[in-house]
Amino acid sequence: MKIQKGSYFAKTHEWISQERDNLYIMGISDFAQSELGDIVYIVLPGIEKTYKKGEKIGEVESVKSVSEIYAPVDLKIAGVNLNLNETPELINSDPYTSGYIAKIELLGAADTLDLMDADSYEAFISTIHD
Amino acid sequence: MAVILTKLMDKHIIKLKLHMETNNKKTPLYEEHLKLGAKIVGFAGFSMPLYYKSIIEEHLNVRNNSGLFDISHMGEILIKGKDSTKFLEHILTAGIAELKPNNITYSLMLNDNGGIIDDLTVYKFAGNDYMVVTNAVNTDKDFSWISLQKRSFDVDAKNMTDKIGLLSIQGPRSRDIVYPLILNHFRQGHCGLFDFKYAAKPVSELNHFEFSCAKFKYINVPAMISRSGYTGEFGFEIFISSSDIKSLWSYFIKNAALSNLLPVGLGARDTLRFEAALPLYGNELDETITPYDAGLERFLSQTKDFIGKEPLEKVKNKEKKLIFFKLSGKQIPRHLQKILDENLKPIGCVASGTYSPTNKIPIGSAYISDIHTSPASLKNFFIDIRGNFEKAEVINPPFLHRKHRKINKSTNK
Repeated sequence: MKIQKGSYFAKTHEWISQERDNLYIMGISDFAQSELGDIVYIVLPGIEKTYKKGEKIGEVESVKSVSEIYAPVDLKIAGVNLNLNETPELINSDPYTSGYIAKIELLGAADTLDLMDADSYEAFISTIHD
Repeated sequence: MAVILTKLMDKHIIKLKLHMETNNKKTPLYEEHLKLGAKIVGFAGFSMPLYYKSIIEEHLNVRNNSGLFDISHMGEILIKGKDSTKFLEHILTAGIAELKPNNITYSLMLNDNGGIIDDLTVYKFAGNDYMVVTNAVNTDKDFSWISLQKRSFDVDAKNMTDKIGLLSIQGPRSRDIVYPLILNHFRQGHCGLFDFKYAAKPVSELNHFEFSCAKFKYINVPAMISRSGYTGEFGFEIFISSSDIKSLWSYFIKNAALSNLLPVGLGARDTLRFEAALPLYGNELDETITPYDAGLERFLSQTKDFIGKEPLEKVKNKEKKLIFFKLSGKQIPRHLQKILDENLKPIGCVASGTYSPTNKIPIGSAYISDIHTSPASLKNFFIDIRGNFEKAEVINPPFLHRKHRKINKSTNK
């Protein structure tokens, strides 16, 4: 299971990673994609839309199940990964890079984020795996 | 796992339970599945592999090369005794009396109202000996029904499910791994748990729905092999004692290069069977559905009586009809979602829905309540997928587009 160092993770398995200043990229973790299996469809969030932490921003559908994607922080969508419309399987093959979901602007202060670093997230998912 | 389920997934649309249940049974190959990195899922009371790496990759490999399935969860009920032919004629819809030794027939088993208790295959050995292969989810129910019905017959029924392991090798290249690994054929006599009173053909000469007995190299006990499957491809199903199935499985995995064999989980088993338009008990079939509803009337014998025949003859109008469709969008229809007509009036619900790896589109089947609507006249209809009305189009199954594939001349169902 790949856990990207330097990223921050939500309990709902989204990650964010700083690009510059207030601009972050986000996606779902390698663990999340492996639980879902082959992803065949994604509903991306709307550009410029703002979401509160925990709000549903999109949906990923795999052959066997559908999952919601939640905002890991209060955020505004700065851009989305349009490649995923045609090749949603990038989320499976490359969840931290070409399979990212959106670019986001943080709406709250970065130092008050209630997210896990890579080590804490690793410990967290080991409690999920029996 | 439980956390990801509640946090990440929309619970009401999840059909398969992804969490492990500690009271689930395990097949003799459970540890092998874990070693291969399988994602385990609870199905019909068993902990089974959903996929090893990818449903899509496993599916396409069966269509193009070959795949190995552990289907030991399926039930085997042995029927013996003086009246066994008469008894099976009574409880099954297919003609059993005309079934020849070393041949298989597909049949339905109906309740007193003509509803489908199970769909199964019947293996005929010598005169009075048969094996009925059941859906895992129905094995206990079937065995109770058989035990109840056999009271006035001189018949012995044994549920052998725990003693018999079952592998399936499916795909156009299946023969490339099965034939070379066979050591020799049993002509007559005991084939492990089975008794062959008539000469069995060499495996390479089997036609669809015939079976034989052979010993694989390095495996101590013989196995019963049938030309059958649930994928729409050329393939084999191999019955061997539970205690020997692990060595046979490992032997195939070790020789996987012979036919580009990959282990395949239940996820791809479902997408493969659905592309081939083969029904799944619990989706297309249940006790409230008749063979006419499901379009399976060709499996009702016209020349004998059986349980459920009389009530079926009284039913003048079908209550529902099974149709198959494809979607123009990308969202996947799921079991029990609503079907809406062009005025958005509900007219039925989804039986099976999945993604077709062969065609790269969502496909499905549905029961339509208005039986006067012909499938061809259903021009504009919609599936209510979580509030999105996705446009669907009726198509004639199967969903196998074979024209770009190399067709092997002996490939049949």
